[in-house]
Amino acid sequence: MVNKVLGLTAADQASLLRIAILGLISLVAIGSRLYSVIRFESVIHEFDPWFNYRTTRYLVDHGFDKFWNWFDETAWYPLGRVVGGTLYPGIMVTSATIYNALHLINIPVDIRNVCVFLAPAFSALTAIATYHLGKEVKNATAGLLAAAFIGVAPGYISRSVAGSYDNEGIAIFLLVFTFFLWLRSVRLGSALYGALTAISYFYMVSAWGGYVFIINLIPLHVFALLVMGRFSNRLYVAYSTFYVIGTLASMQIPFVGFQPTFTSEHMAALGTFGLIQLVAFASFARTLVPENHFRTLLRGAVVSLFVVGLSGLVLLTMSGVIAPWTGRFYSLWDTGYAKIHIPIIASVSEHQPTAWPNFFFDLNMLIWLLPAGIYFSFSELSDNHVFLILYSIFAAYFASVMVRLILTLTPIVCVLAGVAMAHVFETYLNLRDVPAAAQLKAKATPDVVAATDAVKSLVDAVSDDTAIEDTDSASGHKKDGKRGKGAKKNAAKAVEPTTDTSVDGAGTSSTQPSVPTSKELSPALKRFYALFPKFVVMTCFMFLLCMFQWHCSWITSTAYSSPSVVLSSRGPDGSHLIIDDFREAYYWLRKNTKPEAKVLSWWDYGYQLAGMADRTTLVDNNTWNNTHIATVGKIMASDEDTAYELARHHDVDYVLIVFGAMLGYSGDDINKFLWMVRIAQGVYPDDVKEEEFYNSQGQYAISDDASPAMKNSLMHKLSYYRFADVMGGQGFDRVRKQKLPTSVTLDNFEEAYTTENWMVRIYKVKDLDNLGRSHHAASKF
Amino acid sequence: MRFLTTVAVASLAFGGAWLGVVEAKSVSGDRVLVLVPKVEAAKLYSQFLDSLTGRGFDISVRAATNTSVALQVDGVRTYDHAVVLSPESKKLGANLSVRDFVSFVDDGGNLVLTASSELSELGRKLAARFGVEYERRGTAVIDHVAHLRAINDTSDHTLVAAGPPKTAAPVLSKQFAHPQSNPVYFKGIAHKYEPSNPMLISVLTGSRTTYSAPIGSDANEGAISLSGKALGLVSVFQTRNNARVAFSGSAALFSDALLSQEGGANKQFTTDISQWVLQEKAVLRETAHRHYLASTGERPEHYRISNEIVYEIDLSVYHDDAWHPYNSKDVQFEAIMLDPYIRATLNSTESTDPKTTATYHGDIKLPDRYGTFTFRVNYKRTGYSNVDVKDTVGIWPLRHDEYPRFLSAAYPYYISSLVMAVGFLALCAAWMWSAEPKTKRTTKQKSN
Repeated sequence: MVNKVLGLTAADQASLLRIAILGLISLVAIGSRLYSVIRFESVIHEFDPWFNYRTTRYLVDHGFDKFWNWFDETAWYPLGRVVGGTLYPGIMVTSATIYNALHLINIPVDIRNVCVFLAPAFSALTAIATYHLGKEVKNATAGLLAAAFIGVAPGYISRSVAGSYDNEGIAIFLLVFTFFLWLRSVRLGSALYGALTAISYFYMVSAWGGYVFIINLIPLHVFALLVMGRFSNRLYVAYSTFYVIGTLASMQIPFVGFQPTFTSEHMAALGTFGLIQLVAFASFARTLVPENHFRTLLRGAVVSLFVVGLSGLVLLTMSGVIAPWTGRFYSLWDTGYAKIHIPIIASVSEHQPTAWPNFFFDLNMLIWLLPAGIYFSFSELSDNHVFLILYSIFAAYFASVMVRLILTLTPIVCVLAGVAMAHVFETYLNLRDVPAAAQLKAKATPDVVAATDAVKSLVDAVSDDTAIEDTDSASGHKKDGKRGKGAKKNAAKAVEPTTDTSVDGAGTSSTQPSVPTSKELSPALKRFYALFPKFVVMTCFMFLLCMFQWHCSWITSTAYSSPSVVLSSRGPDGSHLIIDDFREAYYWLRKNTKPEAKVLSWWDYGYQLAGMADRTTLVDNNTWNNTHIATVGKIMASDEDTAYELARHHDVDYVLIVFGAMLGYSGDDINKFLWMVRIAQGVYPDDVKEEEFYNSQGQYAISDDASPAMKNSLMHKLSYYRFADVMGGQGFDRVRKQKLPTSVTLDNFEEAYTTENWMVRIYKVKDLDNLGRSHHAASKF
Repeated sequence: MRFLTTVAVASLAFGGAWLGVVEAKSVSGDRVLVLVPKVEAAKLYSQFLDSLTGRGFDISVRAATNTSVALQVDGVRTYDHAVVLSPESKKLGANLSVRDFVSFVDDGGNLVLTASSELSELGRKLAARFGVEYERRGTAVIDHVAHLRAINDTSDHTLVAAGPPKTAAPVLSKQFAHPQSNPVYFKGIAHKYEPSNPMLISVLTGSRTTYSAPIGSDANEGAISLSGKALGLVSVFQTRNNARVAFSGSAALFSDALLSQEGGANKQFTTDISQWVLQEKAVLRETAHRHYLASTGERPEHYRISNEIVYEIDLSVYHDDAWHPYNSKDVQFEAIMLDPYIRATLNSTESTDPKTTATYHGDIKLPDRYGTFTFRVNYKRTGYSNVDVKDTVGIWPLRHDEYPRFLSAAYPYYISSLVMAVGFLALCAAWMWSAEPKTKRTTKQKSN
């Protein structure tokens, strides 16, 4: 029974192994996120992270009190931004705490490096939290597999590579950890764990707007359990503790404030809280009323309360007492909503509906293990499994309407895939009951065969290699199809006792009762028949797992490790070229303009401008003021004189645009221009009209056959001004695949700087003419 | 000691005036370029030029044909002012172009440009840049009623007697405001001017009987292109950077012949015009401005919404060789964020330096709106230099601990939460210290 190795008992060995495996998973998780640092450098990526980085620096430099009350005059000029009250401070506070702690022990690390490596570090924590979640819903095997999956799943890596210093980087850890604590508190009925869930939830609220997902999913779980008639004191304790502490705590974040009391997003939680009080009262009343009467009473009361509550909610929302859902949430129900009503949301690529290949791209084989995992959850259906099922269904829906929500889907996919994979492992790696299994198989009746069939039928769908097996199992399967289904549940249970130990390798499993061996087959052959299918299935799965790892590394290195601030390309000879135009332009602004200069650009570049160029911007990625953004869109879409007047009215000194025609960089401003026009049209329908920007053939052209509005627009002029000079007479726009416009004149603006590859162009807004002439007239003479 | 120095300075100035070598009286410099057709022609304008010299200017008289004359060398002005008395020269100096003159003005140089019936294309184009459109070549200003009769009266009525309009007030001295003031004699070409142009001030216009026509033509032939008040004779222009330019349709207006003409006011008129253009008068400046919290008297890094602040600005005006306080009742302050949130008239108050500056003061209550505001005094008055003072100031929202702590409207809520807390404690106490009957407990356990 006790096999001591190095003086450790089997249980100790198992936990040592688990710790070692988790450690390795963490290492892999961190390691695979470092491609960007190795390929490029330790730099903050993309757009939003630049804001987080800038605010973190402010927090480190000025302390928490100033950070809390910070009003940023340099953003959204001249409106300004109340930074302290409009951000989720979790990530900044986390980094600043790490920074201060490291400095306290005399490790002089730069705050930038803390920020760059925060997301990879938290991904290791996510893996550990996922392990616990998996262990909570099934066992350590499932937990380890889930941890291994989330460690490398591209769906999560896409938001947590080194340098991707964004809220999601820590929020996914908090999401998983909160759910883990929640499930444990439901299972144990522990007020302590309920409170811990609330604290974890508070941290989540402080870190990411996605906390709304938690505050809707947990009540949904509770509600589902109530409807299923699974009310228990454990559930009551867990939810009441969580809701009260969590809500009070979340209201301490200024950005959230009193929202939990009056916005629709939080009403489900409040309603469920009320409901569970009633149910608790009812179950108390149950002791006073005969059982069978009570059941009907209870069900009726729950349903009618739900109807009354919902209609009350609708009424209150319609009468305006409760704030209606924000546009971003509407677009979750109706994917066409944003495009019509809120172009600013629709214009963001990560808010687009997900293309189907994306799921496979981001989750690879996990995506088809997900249904298997859901199936196994149904076959057990404890309170925890109800949660997993709800989570997977809702996250899957949200992930398919908005690309970036694949992120919230990833953890549950990993957990359920871990569960499914654990089932496969436990069935096919269980070599101990081989003789028994072989025997049973020959008879083609007992439960275990049915169970293996169940798993295998899933496998068959994917892997042709298992076709050999069919001859063996088909008979039993066909003969007894109906029973097989019924047997699956039993099978899962039958497998259960072996689960904990099969991976541990301690060999303490309770083997199936041995059945007398058949007389026709020799023992070796029997062994072969028993082992061969297992061997084949396991080979397939190991192959798939390897391919999964391969895929993840490949995706991470090719697709998700580009900082987008620095671009790379391959020269004709295959050499690695670094394109650093953005930083070049921002650095130029930093060094060559007045510190108080105001730079106008499309909002995408606002955070980067503030972070890298340290100049005042008009609009940025915190798209809170649609009118202001529309004004910038109008400036870009208007003719030069109107644009000049508006720009001067807003005290603009420089205009920055991104132009990709030289390199073929398709994410440039001309390609975004239609969105600018649409957004401007939303606010200034009389001044800007989208249809005027298509030429007579209805095309979006930029060359000489472009529409007059297009040719006169500031954006077009700033983009192509003097571009033909460098490209020659037969110049060609390499993004639009069109000829260049031949004559582009510019009077009110003068070129200040153009970067090496013409990707960023900066123009100065001319001062008013001294003699009171228009610049057009002044430049003519 | 102080008395001694004052005496010394006064005597120096007095003596200097006699000798004609005083320090410059212009705010912007004392180097004047005078372009005449030929150097000898300068004698025609000796009175005018002497008055300039007498006022302390360092005059360089150059022939228009002198190719070494440049207004700017390597982007730096070589003169502070230029007076062009050679309207008919096709080329000026080192082939100076319109662009050279405009760039001279952009750099803060002042110009006096004269014209005649035979105005060169260069002068015409240059004037057009400033919105002054001269009549066609060969035309002249004619007035059969108001003209100089003394010189053996013939049918040539091109030496007209004109008076300035009311708009010319700060440019010209007070005597011209009088209706019976002596006329200014003018012989030359007329120009069109845009009365609504705030930068252009007409200082001498035709009367109702003045018209412009080709020389020698009959007025009845419909050749009149411009007449009456719309006919500009002398106009001045002030650019956005406070450089000043004068356009006189007549070079003769500055000549000794007309300056010494009895019954005419040419001497005073040319003095006024040149004093204005060469920045000797009506030069307005802001010497200092400040804003601070009314409560502390200090200027914080940024204000908070609804702060009470004080805004002060010191203004002085230059005339008669010295800075004087500028007194007015229409100095306005604006707090702008895209639109003006506050527009208040500032009152004059006790000045720190009453001899040279006037201080304007305003008690301002900032708007209840946070953002980046521009505090601006944009004082632009005809004939005076523009004063445009801008400060970009952040108005921040209240700190998290600056909001009122207890609201009277919220007292029901405070009470209800207190009652709740007390009730909860009472319930707990009641539950803890009241023993349940044992029998009940056992039944409960069974039911579970």
